[in-house]
Amino acid sequence: MAIQIKTGQRGLTDPELQQVIQDAVPDEPLETNRKMNYFVKPRGRRLSEYEILCCYAQPTPDWIPGGLDWGDWTQKFHGGRPSWGNETTEMKSTDWHKHRDPAKRWHALYVKDKAEEWRYTQRFLKQFSGDGQIRTMDPVWRDEVLNDYLGAFCFNEYGLFNSHSSASRDCLGDTLRMSIAMIGLDKVDNAQMIQLERTFIAKLVPGFPESTDEPKKEWTQGAIYKGARETVEDIWQATYDWNEILWAGHQVHDAIFGQFVRREFFLRLSSYYGDSLTPFFINQMQLYHSQTKGITDDMFFYCLADDAEFGDYNRRLMRAWTDKWLPRTINALKDFMGIFAKIPEIDHVTTPDAIEAALTRVFDDWTEDYADKIGYKADTTAMVKTVMSGLK
Amino acid sequence: MAISAATKAATDALAVNRAPTSVNAQEVHRWLQSFTWDFDKNRTKYPTKYKMANDTKEQFKLIAKEYARMESVKDERQFGSLQDVLTRVDAGNKVHPKWNETMKIISNFLEVGEYNAIAATGMLWDSATSPEQKNGYLAQTLDEIRHTNQCGYVNYYFTKHGQDAAGHNDARRTRTIGPLWKGMKRVFSDGFISGDAVECSINLQLVGEACFTNPLIVAVTEWAAANGDEITPTVFLSIETDELRHMANGYQTVVSIANDEAASKYLNTDLNNAFWTQQKYFTPVLGMAFEYGSHFKVEPWVKTWNRWVYEDWGGIWIGRLGKYGVESPASLRDAKKDAYWAHHDLFLLAYALWPTGFFRLTLPTKEEMDWFEENYPGWYDHYGVIYEEWRARGCEDPNSGFIPLMWFIENNHPIYIDRVSQVPFCPSLCKGASTLRVHEYNGKKNTFSDDWGERMWLSEPERYECQNMFEQYAGRELSEVIAELHGVRSDGKTLIAQPHTDKDGKMWTLDDIKALNCVFSDPVDAL
Repeated sequence: MAIQIKTGQRGLTDPELQQVIQDAVPDEPLETNRKMNYFVKPRGRRLSEYEILCCYAQPTPDWIPGGLDWGDWTQKFHGGRPSWGNETTEMKSTDWHKHRDPAKRWHALYVKDKAEEWRYTQRFLKQFSGDGQIRTMDPVWRDEVLNDYLGAFCFNEYGLFNSHSSASRDCLGDTLRMSIAMIGLDKVDNAQMIQLERTFIAKLVPGFPESTDEPKKEWTQGAIYKGARETVEDIWQATYDWNEILWAGHQVHDAIFGQFVRREFFLRLSSYYGDSLTPFFINQMQLYHSQTKGITDDMFFYCLADDAEFGDYNRRLMRAWTDKWLPRTINALKDFMGIFAKIPEIDHVTTPDAIEAALTRVFDDWTEDYADKIGYKADTTAMVKTVMSGLK
Repeated sequence: MAISAATKAATDALAVNRAPTSVNAQEVHRWLQSFTWDFDKNRTKYPTKYKMANDTKEQFKLIAKEYARMESVKDERQFGSLQDVLTRVDAGNKVHPKWNETMKIISNFLEVGEYNAIAATGMLWDSATSPEQKNGYLAQTLDEIRHTNQCGYVNYYFTKHGQDAAGHNDARRTRTIGPLWKGMKRVFSDGFISGDAVECSINLQLVGEACFTNPLIVAVTEWAAANGDEITPTVFLSIETDELRHMANGYQTVVSIANDEAASKYLNTDLNNAFWTQQKYFTPVLGMAFEYGSHFKVEPWVKTWNRWVYEDWGGIWIGRLGKYGVESPASLRDAKKDAYWAHHDLFLLAYALWPTGFFRLTLPTKEEMDWFEENYPGWYDHYGVIYEEWRARGCEDPNSGFIPLMWFIENNHPIYIDRVSQVPFCPSLCKGASTLRVHEYNGKKNTFSDDWGERMWLSEPERYECQNMFEQYAGRELSEVIAELHGVRSDGKTLIAQPHTDKDGKMWTLDDIKALNCVFSDPVDAL
């Protein structure tokens, strides 16, 4: 029959075309190995769908450790800088393709989770408003703390989100790149959820200022977020090493400052001020934090700190980066202590004994989850004391 | 802040205001532009000669969660079709074998483009100053991860359910062997991520996506469906729904620099270079994949090219950007000439080098030769006679001891590789416009096949230093190279690549290739 088809003819459904195809199809499959990416070393017992779809998508040559390609880049930056190069980070690895997201999320699984969270968020907001739960919220907490200070925290999350742009451009592996883009999106999601909560309250409370003007003024000119703002600005735009950006942002600043602000301030205190709305959003942020922690722990501890050849060197570098960023984070937290003078005092909740306990929880967690893993000597008592000196 | 009297009154009013309400994505998005702030160090890490405006808007206005909802719905439809109905009808074995092979290349090479676009849009997200513009690029960053996974899924599906898994199952490793790979990297990898950020956006969004994704992702679905493949249309058309947003991002890139003085100086040159870069590879490779990689034919490539590239993109799309000073590339006329013969020239070389592929190629049959002659008058006298000679010498049969590369050597037709595009060409045999030019630089001879690429190299030779396969493999025996780069099937001896798709034909092994004693040499040495 003619090989020129008519418009709309399909080989699967047209009997004549399909007969020609069947005459050509081999009687038995020509290849017995039906495992895609069979050459990839699985993290678990067998290759996951995540590994099949993500691993070695990146076409890096073998002089970037782990790469499967050969030769040079076919086009470089003006002046000859390579497309990707080992010099973009001080960290060293024997295999930049080793990282795995512990949750094994490729794109479809990632957006499925977030889509469910969005649908549930909209159902929750309808229930919350229909139930009139806003009535129990303390007006000072609502109009000062949530408006100004939760609103200003939006910029912390937005700045950290932007720090992922160059990291997602420059990093040296495919699973790394996908993870970095996803944890970046989670950060802008946090910023958007904060504005969403403020917009929602504005719908329920006429006169509540939905505008970002006051929060931005607090972030850019206020004293409470001064240290945080300066740290975030430097992580975002003054740091070029993509591993240092991720280390400073996730393993130091967010693990200490972010955890205190979200968990020990807004989440812990909200119920005392009759606020059952903020915990809904903060807990989503905490979920993202825990998923991100799984990812960055794998990147830094499993892959780099335990690298067979460069582990010692990498741990030393992580300690050096911690020396650089930890004092700035402690200073950011010290500035943040000023917020306790702005809220109605509740004994053993917002008083120094409770603040000290909250800080101790954060620093103890950080020491156990981060510092100990790279042999970094952290003095929790001293750090807590420094931060507490910021109380007004 | 003191609690206002109005707020107090509103609080009191809440006692009776309990109407269920929520917040939609647009109500959040409208505040996005205010999320950034000015500070001294706020600058991009990827300098551009253009200035992107601070107030540029995006067209799609998504927030993170709404983006996820939209994509998740599309995924449900796509994976539902693949995993349910297409598997039950045994779709993988309803595909013509020639097309099964073509999808080894198309899906994997498109994957490389999608993958590099993750990094490209990461760079643009960094370069843009407007939060909305950043947001548009961010959504594309996530889309490109989706598309990388989707293209991988096509190879995964063919591996699991198809008739010849070899090549589908290890394309990410074996793709590097042959002559098509480096050129693909130029257009789909480095061209997107290495250079001035706006230049990269022009390569990716204004040309790669707005121009070539139409033939690459849309037209390919017609060829796939004609040849029994419903897997590819299911995935690729879902990809294309995102591409619209990416074309809009490219449009907004131009809008964001429209008022910058640099745009009037450089934009059209950058666009011309980007267009030539992309077309130099895609015009021959897509035409070759469609016409030589199928059994059933949809229409001559030259017609598809004219419709999508010349009229739709060069005319309508670029026309819309005319108000911003954008002009149709000067190289469009030369590209139009390439659309006629360049893919025929390339198939001659690709078939001659078939052992270095990760797919099986097929010589045109008698009825295909008639189709080619009817649609490209003069085709038979130039190409058809050569294929008949190769077939007569037994090029498909391992017992013949003949691969067409030997014919090129016997007849003194050296194959060169264009340094800028990395596309192979044979100046003494091509019917298209390629001509040989040679420049020596830093003790190395560089060959070129056209004015536009030569001009790019003369301006910035340090950007195009990549070795080509002949330089890399010079002095190595062919079977050794294939074995080292994993070009064999799971039995450890039969090649993944074959010069036929005949189900009764004998398959070539490493030993068959070794017996030829074919040693690579760099033809440039003889110049």
